Amino acid sequence: MIKSKDVLLKIRDLKIQGYSDETWIDIIKGVDLTLHRGEVMGLIGESGAGKSTIGAACMGYARDGTRISNGSIEFDGMELTTASEGERRMLRGSRIAYVAQSAAASFNPAHKIIDQHTEAPLQYRLKKRVEAQEDAMQLYEKLRLPNPTEIGFRYPHQVSGGQLQRAMTAMAMSCRPDLIIFDEPTTALDVTTQIEVLAAIRDIVDEYNTAAIYITHDLAVVAQMADTIKVLLKGREVEEAPTKEMLDNPQEEYTKSLWAVRSFQSPQRHRPKDGVPLISVRNVDASYTGGAKVLDDVSFDIYEGMTVAVVGESGSGKSTTARVITGLLPPSKGEVLFKGKPFPPSYKDRTKDQLRQCQMIYQMADTALNPKVKISEIIGRPAAFYSGLKGVALKNRVDELLDLIELEPSQYYNRYPPELSGGQKQRIGIARALAAEPTFIVCDEVTSALDQLVAEGILRLLDRLQNELGLAYMFITHDLATVRSIADEVVVMQHGKVVEQGPKDEMFTPPHHPYTDLLLSSVPEMDPNWLTTLLEERGIDNVGDAAAARIDPNDPKVSNANA
Amino acid sequence: MSVFVIAYYSLLLGASCLAAYFNKRSAFLLLFSLTLVSFVLGIIGGVSALRIVAILAGLLGLSAMVSYAFREFLIAIASKNLAKELRTAPLTAAFGMFVIFTVAVAGIFAPLIAPYGEAQVITSAFAPADENMLLGADQLGRDIFSRLVFGARNTVALALAGTVMAFILGALAGLMAATSGGWFDQFLARTSDVIMSIPSLIFALLMLSIFGGDLANDTTSFWLLSGFIGVTGLLLVSAIAERSMISWVIGLAILAGAAAVFGGFMLVIFNPSEIILILVVAVIYSPRVFRLTRAVAGNVVVMDYIEAAKLRGERRWYLIRREILPNSTAPLIAEFGLEFCFVFLLIAGLSFLGLGIQPPTADWGSMVRENATLISFGDITPLIPAAAIALLTVAVNFVVDWMLYRSSGLKV
Repeated sequence: MIKSKDVLLKIRDLKIQGYSDETWIDIIKGVDLTLHRGEVMGLIGESGAGKSTIGAACMGYARDGTRISNGSIEFDGMELTTASEGERRMLRGSRIAYVAQSAAASFNPAHKIIDQHTEAPLQYRLKKRVEAQEDAMQLYEKLRLPNPTEIGFRYPHQVSGGQLQRAMTAMAMSCRPDLIIFDEPTTALDVTTQIEVLAAIRDIVDEYNTAAIYITHDLAVVAQMADTIKVLLKGREVEEAPTKEMLDNPQEEYTKSLWAVRSFQSPQRHRPKDGVPLISVRNVDASYTGGAKVLDDVSFDIYEGMTVAVVGESGSGKSTTARVITGLLPPSKGEVLFKGKPFPPSYKDRTKDQLRQCQMIYQMADTALNPKVKISEIIGRPAAFYSGLKGVALKNRVDELLDLIELEPSQYYNRYPPELSGGQKQRIGIARALAAEPTFIVCDEVTSALDQLVAEGILRLLDRLQNELGLAYMFITHDLATVRSIADEVVVMQHGKVVEQGPKDEMFTPPHHPYTDLLLSSVPEMDPNWLTTLLEERGIDNVGDAAAARIDPNDPKVSNANA
Repeated sequence: MSVFVIAYYSLLLGASCLAAYFNKRSAFLLLFSLTLVSFVLGIIGGVSALRIVAILAGLLGLSAMVSYAFREFLIAIASKNLAKELRTAPLTAAFGMFVIFTVAVAGIFAPLIAPYGEAQVITSAFAPADENMLLGADQLGRDIFSRLVFGARNTVALALAGTVMAFILGALAGLMAATSGGWFDQFLARTSDVIMSIPSLIFALLMLSIFGGDLANDTTSFWLLSGFIGVTGLLLVSAIAERSMISWVIGLAILAGAAAVFGGFMLVIFNPSEIILILVVAVIYSPRVFRLTRAVAGNVVVMDYIEAAKLRGERRWYLIRREILPNSTAPLIAEFGLEFCFVFLLIAGLSFLGLGIQPPTADWGSMVRENATLISFGDITPLIPAAAIALLTVAVNFVVDWMLYRSSGLKV
């Protein structure tokens, strides 16, 4: 398709300041950006690089606590920095649209999807209500939503996350804008769902020749979507180039380091020939009060010093399994054995020593660390609690732990969690788990809220600690790249059942269970043609939920797993 | 045209022109609209109306200057961290702090400040103000100013004691309910619902008529007080001791001792009818504190760090003290200020009805009632204690607003 080469959006020397500690600090330090009609530009960088701030600035919008201090933003010949608020508001929704990261949080739960969809066309008097609704249904169909004529009349909570994200894209399209800003639209989704959304977004943007700015931290995703890629670091541009060129031949050191991220791989360990597993989950069924079964006959073993990755999409029962092992959710059937002896089902009945053996690291370090408690106490408390350390001995232990997680003790000893970055917080969470001197740690999606470079650092740290301290990990994740780099054994879960388990090398070589196969093939790769190829191979209607539903129950691999 | 009127208009016009010249939009709009209003006022009300406007503006300016100076004074004497917090205080909050400070000084040093005793009859009834009496005399010929100063001590001390006790009971129960859940939570919540379903003034009237009169003696009030402390203490002991039998025994022993000491202490400070008033207030207001605490703590309890602490095997008391309380102090402090105002108004209201603080003890609410007849003669005497009540309430609310604003985390 021929893309006209008029410039749509021109940003020159943009500077944005944020207010903190009673002074204005530069967040964006002079960024230039040129976007042509129909062009898709990917903005990538770690969190704090200013991607979302630039995305908002493209609409002439500065978030609360920030201000555009310098530079020009020219949208289709109109200068946004000097335009009045009314003029800028006339653009938003009609000519520039925005798709947010979490569609579930961005839709108003009190109104039907289609009413929210038609709000903008009605507001701008572009269409009558009935026309707008018909148009919405057409868009839903193009985005391959199931039941396009009916789905709009549901409320947001009645629709799944991936569908909601597509409905939001349809909503952004409702006025046929010239520019759409996608702010991490698939980050919160599972790999299998992500594909559907990616394919849908790409097609619709192509079809209407809409320009788009695609903000993400996932390189593989941006490689599928963007014509050009711009790399940002701490509010400055690192480099910009067409996608293909950027992937094949990055110029700057920082970009190369981003590309090299997935290189870390821990050597695979194997089970000892004979020996008792450290943790053994035996035929566990579990359900939350009054609800349906969340876990159905789950069994697997974790041996000392090994990493078992538990994989599956959200809702597959990964975290529930962790809750059963830690004793937060007593199972309704089956038991958990620790070194061959049964573990009391509820954590309340476990002894101090049993509790000490099994620690947990959480996904969201923000909610896992008390914001009003000093680092020294967060880490020191388990040491004082279990080992009875006091005074100088306790301080030495905290220093030792901070050293272990590669943070300078004197700098962090008296600080509070909100003063730290995401990666540092996650390290503190690890230190808290280590302070108890456990033998087994449950890592619940520990890297999924982090940027790739930071996540890589955390994985290396966990691996080093495992080698030094002989820890066993249960690693819950939906990211198969993480599994590849750190796991020794893999357990694949779907709908509360274990569908396949075994050593990593076996799991990553075919033949797979069809579900494992689906998971594996849905992980985006760096190749910019990956999505196109995959869709050609699988067929456009055979991705995501649709594909999961199509797994043949009589497939030999499936019946083996169930047997 | 007097010199005053000429000076008045020239000042306003000059100031608005300056504001317009320096592009201060809001200041200009304010000044110039005041000028326009003054034209109308001048025509209708004449010089005296303009004089009132000038006096009001002068008062506003003076209180702004006092607030500013007081804030700078606090910043200068406070520690570094506290000074940083104080710098965020708006002028209204500074004004509130200044008023609270003044009332506190008046209350604490009342016998030194007041020229006469609180029940001392010095002149004829309703004598007008002269050089001996700043604000005139009341219906028995007692000095109103002295009674105002003593009233600050009585009313505020009573309200403060009532609020503190309501807070201790309500907050403790709220924290316990949030951490334990289940039937215990339900029991406390439904109990508080029952208390809250009765209109507070009517409930207070009922309780005061039961325990007033003959029952308002030392023994009854001591036992009631001990009962209240017992309930509060039981919550505390059950939070700390949990399942350990020995801790229960030790806790209960300490509790009994503490209750006796506290009961005796309160009897020394307050007289029996005041203690009953405090208890009634504490019982009426604790459910509100309970609800807020339970809601705030409920949001904290579901966080992962609480789960981590539970998995570590921490006791409930540690959870409450080290994990939940630090995260809920801001709304609780703000609520304390608000409740204090309500309690203060309730006590003033009860005194006005003749059920609160008994004569001859000076109290702002009863002062309004005693002098109420005077209002029909166009005298402002009964309005003076009423103004004192209003001023303190507004002042506390100014400070609370600032704290609420800070705790809600809104950006400027």
